[in-house]
Amino acid sequence: MNRNLLLLLPMILPILAGLIVFFAKPMKNRKTRNWFVGSFLILNLLVTALLLCGPAVRVELFDLMKGIPVLFKLDGVGRIYTALLAIMWTFSGFFAFEYMKHEGNEHRYFGFFLVALGALNGVAYAGNLVTFYLCYETMTLVSMPMVLHSLNKEAIKAGFKYLFYSFFGASLGLLGIFYMFQYTTTIEFMGGGTLDLAKLAGHESFFLVIVFLSIIGFGAKAGMFPLHGWLPTAHPVAPAPASAVLSGVIVKAGVVGMIRVVFYIVGADFLRGTWVQTAWMSLALLTVFMGSMLAYKEQVFKKRLAYSTVSQVSYVVFGLSLLNADGVLGGMEHIVFHSFIKNGLFLTAGAIIYKTGKTKVSELKGIGKEMPIAMWCYTICSLALIGIPPTCGFISKWYLAVGSLQSGMTFFSWFGPIVLLVSALLTAGYLLPITINGFFPGADYDYSKLEKKEPNKFMTIPLILLATGSVVLGMFPNAFASFIQTIIETIM
Amino acid sequence: MTSPILLLVPILFPLLGALVLPLFHFESRNKRQIYVGTIVVLNTIFTYLLLWYGPSEGITLIKLTSDFSIGLKIDGLSKVFAGLVAALWPFATLFAFEYMTHEKRENYFFSFYTGTFGVTVGIAFSANIATLYLFYELLTLITLPLVMHSMNEKSIKAGITYIAYSVGGAAMAFIGIVMIMTYGTGADFVFGGVLDLAKIGDKSNLVLLGYVFAFFGFGVKTAVFPFYKWLPMAGVAPTPVTALLHAVAVVKSGAFAIMRVTYYCFGADFLRDTWAQYVVMTAVLITILFGSSMALKEQHLKRRLAYSTISNLSYILFGVVLMSPAGLVGGLTHMIFHGVMKIALFFCVGAVMFKTHKEYVYEIEGFGRKMPFVFSIFTIAAIALVGVPPLTGFISKWNLAYAAVETGKVLPAIGVFVLLLSALLTAMYLLTISVRAFFPAKGFDETKLAHVEDPRWYMTVPLGVFTVAIIVFGIHSAPLVEFFTRIANGL
Repeated sequence: MNRNLLLLLPMILPILAGLIVFFAKPMKNRKTRNWFVGSFLILNLLVTALLLCGPAVRVELFDLMKGIPVLFKLDGVGRIYTALLAIMWTFSGFFAFEYMKHEGNEHRYFGFFLVALGALNGVAYAGNLVTFYLCYETMTLVSMPMVLHSLNKEAIKAGFKYLFYSFFGASLGLLGIFYMFQYTTTIEFMGGGTLDLAKLAGHESFFLVIVFLSIIGFGAKAGMFPLHGWLPTAHPVAPAPASAVLSGVIVKAGVVGMIRVVFYIVGADFLRGTWVQTAWMSLALLTVFMGSMLAYKEQVFKKRLAYSTVSQVSYVVFGLSLLNADGVLGGMEHIVFHSFIKNGLFLTAGAIIYKTGKTKVSELKGIGKEMPIAMWCYTICSLALIGIPPTCGFISKWYLAVGSLQSGMTFFSWFGPIVLLVSALLTAGYLLPITINGFFPGADYDYSKLEKKEPNKFMTIPLILLATGSVVLGMFPNAFASFIQTIIETIM
Repeated sequence: MTSPILLLVPILFPLLGALVLPLFHFESRNKRQIYVGTIVVLNTIFTYLLLWYGPSEGITLIKLTSDFSIGLKIDGLSKVFAGLVAALWPFATLFAFEYMTHEKRENYFFSFYTGTFGVTVGIAFSANIATLYLFYELLTLITLPLVMHSMNEKSIKAGITYIAYSVGGAAMAFIGIVMIMTYGTGADFVFGGVLDLAKIGDKSNLVLLGYVFAFFGFGVKTAVFPFYKWLPMAGVAPTPVTALLHAVAVVKSGAFAIMRVTYYCFGADFLRDTWAQYVVMTAVLITILFGSSMALKEQHLKRRLAYSTISNLSYILFGVVLMSPAGLVGGLTHMIFHGVMKIALFFCVGAVMFKTHKEYVYEIEGFGRKMPFVFSIFTIAAIALVGVPPLTGFISKWNLAYAAVETGKVLPAIGVFVLLLSALLTAMYLLTISVRAFFPAKGFDETKLAHVEDPRWYMTVPLGVFTVAIIVFGIHSAPLVEFFTRIANGL
């Protein structure tokens, strides 16, 4: 099969499938639709796997403007992200078959769900800044209806907040793109950066400001302070399977944006040791701490998980901001690991809401007795997020700490690991009490009222696989780590 | 080789057609539509023939004094403006046929509407500043009855405001023109300017002041802050007027005149890096943010779009006052693309008003379900105007920002930021409408909208054509931009 075409398929197919779900009459029938979406998600897994088995591809479609083509190519970062998308979309999709029954308007949900997958694959494959921006904005637009879904006041407000924060962030990114177009040899992503130092001469300090602004801009999607405000509003109001992919995967589009700008356009060398690195790192650490703190104080379950996302994605950002091999390795690993974990956690929250309607942490006493499988998966994911070996969270945090200690920065080399440690304690503090109260409801718990509320296999199987994944990735980390190292070799 | 006298045809033909229209006393609507339609389509075809095969030399019609004459000529800039106007007019007329069935005195309306076509082409074909000024004043007069069409208190007030602002603006512009006459060579438009540096000597500040007057004078029609007031008020006119004249023909005549004054009279080299440039650019940037903010605040659909026009016209002017070829390219790009996008948006709103008589943002809840065609196009045009690739708005935003970045100066850099901020505001004031239309809040009662439906082909065909243009020119902008680049480099 033509590999150029194969690269386009993971973008085109989901969009087509989404439109079919949206407009075709038979798709109003739940059973037909579930079969269609289910088989499509499996097909997408296969296509993605086929694509990942082969060598790198580069497809230039047409010139959007003079000398600026719409360009897609498959490189290491793109491979990781597209694999993540295919896997998470499948889990979340199957989970949603059951969950969305009580939300209504299912065909609209699944329509946008699939279209968003296509746009996100575009983000993964985008080969230059303009193509990236194109896919990034499209992705924002098509993922917003998932936030809007329930159409109550809160959801509509949250949808707009999501849209406008994202647009503002993307605007800052675009500001960067305008200047990067001016000061680079090409805006195609090249490992190590494409800066034109001769053109840049004399404008360095101004350009640093611009780079910083675009990092903040992409940070909006990644929930990085100061543009994190939308995340705790938007993620909890979306239906649980949507929050799972929003928190698990879509926020990482912002991280991909940062990786592209920093390592593929500007170059790590240009930023290392500048105030931009320091400021960027400070923002990341501040977000790590702040997110954990807010999660610890939050009583609404899904909102707590959303704050947790704010904190955890900034672990990734922190790793990137170290600009050294181990830090970036830890960061990139955490992209994937956090995805597994956070998907698992959000889907548990969804299962609980679906089965019991409970949304507050305080209501979850004895939930482990009612839904043991779900809560076991929750517990395993929690341990992974805290970073207890042999789960995956330990691996990524280990590299983050090592990277930090090796960075040679006088203050941050030891301050970073301390913040990570404190945040890990807070993570334990906001996740584990739910397990403890869930399994050990205390003496005054009324066992006579206990009834089994375990969800059906559409919900439990994704949960079990995600929990298993977050352990297995931690026990056999080497293959993945060495793959990331090959990426790092090309960008450092 | 065609004779330059032919240049008069696309100006006089619609004017004559308009003049005799009231004599026919059309009894049936159908006959009048055929009559008007034929004139407009023929004129468009003829205009395009002229743009392609027309004479390269100009014609002097009247010579008043040695350096004051009335003449016509087609150059690159004329082609852009005349091409835009001629392309949009037939579609707008088709839309108006349907829309005006709800309004009274259609004979009157179509008479002035068609006549305006000729005057606008006249502005495009003007060979020198005096001719431009003549047609410019004529445009004000011939469009006044259109603004006042419904003849109620509100529209008469709007008409008076319109005429006061326009005449006042023209008077201000005249000061600038006098300056050009006094310190210029008296020649027709030449790329690079007609100033005679020897005559100016040490009076360059005075000449620059003249430029500022000319800018703000012509800027009245493009609604530059603080002379914007008339445009939102003129929204009382029937929608085909608001859409074609107050988003394209009239307001862009102002932008076109400023392009002429800047690049073909004073000359970009003379103006670059002067205090005059900073003054006008500051005004432009303020207008961009002011227009977008007011649009966000405004709840009346048409007035919201009018404020959006104010902001977007200043995008064009921002490109123009960068005083560089790239800037002019950006300005021209946005002049064309904004024209198409805004007319599409206005027609969508017009279709809503025509079908349902709803005029406010909060009244259109759930309409997207009942008018899917209209609101899909509204959404596409809105996304385009925000500047999301691969639609047209992104191309113009890119060209403008590229030009601003290229200068490497501070104020243009602030301008880039202002553009992006305004894009965000645009998303806020337009996409909220789309979301409200497509995603009505929970508990919404669809049965209330039983009578709401998409309009018939008179309205949907123009909308469809504009949308195709928005997408096609977004994806394939290179030839057009190359053409602009040639113009902006004086070729």
